[in-house]
Amino acid sequence: MSLELLLIIAFGGALLTYLLGKISHRARDSFAVFISLVLVVMVAYFYGKTVEKAFYFGFFGLPLVLRLNMLSWFFAIAISSLGALCTIFSLSYMKGRERTDLYYLMILVVNAAMLGIVLAGDLVSFYIFWEIMSWSTFLLISYNKGPALAAAMKYIIMSIVGSLAMLIGMLSLYTRYGTLNISEISGIIASASSGYILFILIIFSIAFGIKNAVMPLHTWLPDSYAEAPSPFTAVLSGMLTRMGVYGFLLLMYVIVGLRNVITPRLLSYHYILAWLGAVTIVIPTFIAMLQNDAKKLLAWHGIGQGGYMILGIAFGTSLGVAGGIFHTLNHAIYIVLLFMSVGAVQYRTGGERDLNSLGGLIKKMPVAFTGALLGISGLIGMPLTNGFVSKWLIYKTLILEGSPFLAFAALIGTWGTILSVYKFVHNMFLGQLPEKYKDIQKSPLSMQLPMIVLSFAILLFGILPGIPLKVINAIGTSFGFEPLNVSLWGIASEAGMLNTINIFAAVLVTAALVWLVFRSTAESVPVAQEDSYAAGAYVPKDKYHYTVEFYNPLYKMIKPFLRDVIDEFYYGVAASVQKVCNHVRRMYMGDVGYYVTYIILFLAALIFVQLKWKPW
Amino acid sequence: MVTKVMKIILSPVLALIVGVFFLGLARKIMARIHWRYGPPLIQPIIDMIRLFYQKSVSHGCIFDLGIILSLAGSIVVVLILPFGQICPLAGSGGLLVILYIMLLAPLGMALSGGQGANPNISIGISRKLILALGYEVPLLLVLLSVMTHYKTISIVEMVNIQQSTGWSIISWPLFLSGLSYFLILPAILGLRPFDMTSAPQEISSGPMVEYGGKYLALAAIEHAFVLFISIALFVNLFLGGGANLITFFIKMLVVFVLGLCINAVFPRFRIEQAIKYLWKWPTLLAFVGLIITIAIRS
Repeated sequence: MSLELLLIIAFGGALLTYLLGKISHRARDSFAVFISLVLVVMVAYFYGKTVEKAFYFGFFGLPLVLRLNMLSWFFAIAISSLGALCTIFSLSYMKGRERTDLYYLMILVVNAAMLGIVLAGDLVSFYIFWEIMSWSTFLLISYNKGPALAAAMKYIIMSIVGSLAMLIGMLSLYTRYGTLNISEISGIIASASSGYILFILIIFSIAFGIKNAVMPLHTWLPDSYAEAPSPFTAVLSGMLTRMGVYGFLLLMYVIVGLRNVITPRLLSYHYILAWLGAVTIVIPTFIAMLQNDAKKLLAWHGIGQGGYMILGIAFGTSLGVAGGIFHTLNHAIYIVLLFMSVGAVQYRTGGERDLNSLGGLIKKMPVAFTGALLGISGLIGMPLTNGFVSKWLIYKTLILEGSPFLAFAALIGTWGTILSVYKFVHNMFLGQLPEKYKDIQKSPLSMQLPMIVLSFAILLFGILPGIPLKVINAIGTSFGFEPLNVSLWGIASEAGMLNTINIFAAVLVTAALVWLVFRSTAESVPVAQEDSYAAGAYVPKDKYHYTVEFYNPLYKMIKPFLRDVIDEFYYGVAASVQKVCNHVRRMYMGDVGYYVTYIILFLAALIFVQLKWKPW
Repeated sequence: MVTKVMKIILSPVLALIVGVFFLGLARKIMARIHWRYGPPLIQPIIDMIRLFYQKSVSHGCIFDLGIILSLAGSIVVVLILPFGQICPLAGSGGLLVILYIMLLAPLGMALSGGQGANPNISIGISRKLILALGYEVPLLLVLLSVMTHYKTISIVEMVNIQQSTGWSIISWPLFLSGLSYFLILPAILGLRPFDMTSAPQEISSGPMVEYGGKYLALAAIEHAFVLFISIALFVNLFLGGGANLITFFIKMLVVFVLGLCINAVFPRFRIEQAIKYLWKWPTLLAFVGLIITIAIRS
């Protein structure tokens, strides 16, 4: 088996799925799931292998290189497995909608392109796959039309800005070194001046920063996440946005190299990036608290959690980088689960995602509730869920290396998260069930299955973090970091260790004991809410529960400080560009006389310039 | 091995006894400050036993599981928190883990209350979570200064260092941080000026309103544990822990009574007033404390 076969199957499978859709929808659905599962198996087969392979297509005389190492394998397995789960989830969610053939084609192409990105061994193929991913994402975000079109437009414009920045960086590297092979560049670039290295770092950071929504380049994300179809939002939030994290890792630790990036100076690139990460944690987390749209709330958390990854990676210690990479995986798992949970609710309630009009769904949709509960636990970073371990790694290195203010930003982000995610679960699943949802069905099996798998993964990686940390440790070592002392259930190091299995056992045993006490004492009677609240008196059928403006006293205090100034600024720039272009357009009167005048005026100006300064 | 198992069993029991004793003491002291006689010291125990025998109302599975989880979380914190020389699971992650497992208690309560679907509960929970955000800002700054100063995240090591070099509240880099922790202690415990969460006259005890019988008893036990944990953490971090159990408990008692006497005379804050207070003086003190700590370290 070879790497090119993997990509051929990924792209060819997508195309075949589209063609099959013209014949039978049922065959197309099962083929799409089949292809995405085959990719998981194939990627899993490559575990621990190192491959590098060049192909000559006569493309500007440049070879296209595919390469595989621990870093790309780690991302590839996450992409393919989450992609497969999202495809399975799509089956019932997309049933009966229009243009489903296109949807399946695009979602498989996005997955294939992401695999291409992580397997690319040179910057040209990296760039090609990157563009395929951006454009197919654009089509998927705009799938629902209406407000989705505007969101997709915002996304693609920012993406293009990023791609152009990347292109400039690539051209500069090519003219200087004559190659775009990543491993060759990383060998040469150490000899470059620190100014040039900084230029390369910054120009690529624009591209990756936009993709990963690092403040102040985050503004495309909330709208796109909210408007895309929910199964695709899961893909988008899980791995696609995190291609930015992969890009940062590639840039900082593979291309430029550990020794050139991590410098002890206070105003260095990595230190400023870490601070940007900290800002990206705090502000979006607090903005998330103000949201009433379930998907927008999660979207802002998507930005905020991206800040943890950037903070860990940019801080540049072995614990920090391990924490950053691990958090990328963990975040993908729980955010995909959360978007699936929202998607399941949307599917049953006719697309409702307004937190103020849902409620009490726990008894109707228990699997979606369990998914949401475990998802938010991971998002908060509760012990025994996966999010805890990666955050613990990041906090610990920040504290021990003497950056308490960065640690404060990371920690306070967690407490802000608790408020908004409690509101999320409370307003959707707990509390009073609205009258119109009395007869709602539970989610179909094809939705439950991915949610159960992901819930299990959250607990597994939370209790036995050693499984992924072994791979992450290998990645860190390949970057030139000291290996961590990882066992299956924790991390031991000179100052303070983590032992998740102890905590797990303690929680399990004490919970069992408390439960025994609970069971053995006087029984409790299940009673309908209305009976105990009004003591049997009549309760109006409308909503009496308190969910709207859930943290009102706090909103009043913090709202004035949380305007998205950056978004407003970009809109201002866009508006003024449009204004200028509008004035330029007015030159075209449609009258030949004016055009002749323009030509004569232009010639006159040229002659004047030549007579006066003689430039030619 | 046997001693370790003994310690694991013993430490929650001790914590429970001390916590319940504090609950009784609090009612007695409050009564005396108000010129009343007050209930006997063991009144909380009598109440708990009575409540366990009473029938109660349940609103569903999370309503039950939430409170079980909440209590279990608090017991696990007691196992990880060293007191005196007892610290059965102290090596499992240090202060950061404690900080996070302490979340299980309020979150479990909030989930349990959420299924109660009573407006009073939701208002209470909303206030509780806002208040928690309010006191976490200074608390995190305080904990970060302590961790930065001692260059470790393990509480056992912090206690050991203090045993040899003296209490950290007296050492001047951490004096401001200690003061700040003492100022927010009533907010963590939900004592008088900060009891808007469960204000009985306003929102019928908030999160507790649907609880009866064993639910109330478990909630009371949970409260006793939280009381114990917050004060024990202060004693460990700032008053040098305890060479043995007796000194440790005496230190806790002094802190508790001192805090109670100061706060018994205040009227209840509104939630906005509480946040404004918490984000002003305690945060300022903690912030300055952290800057001093960093300056000394480097």
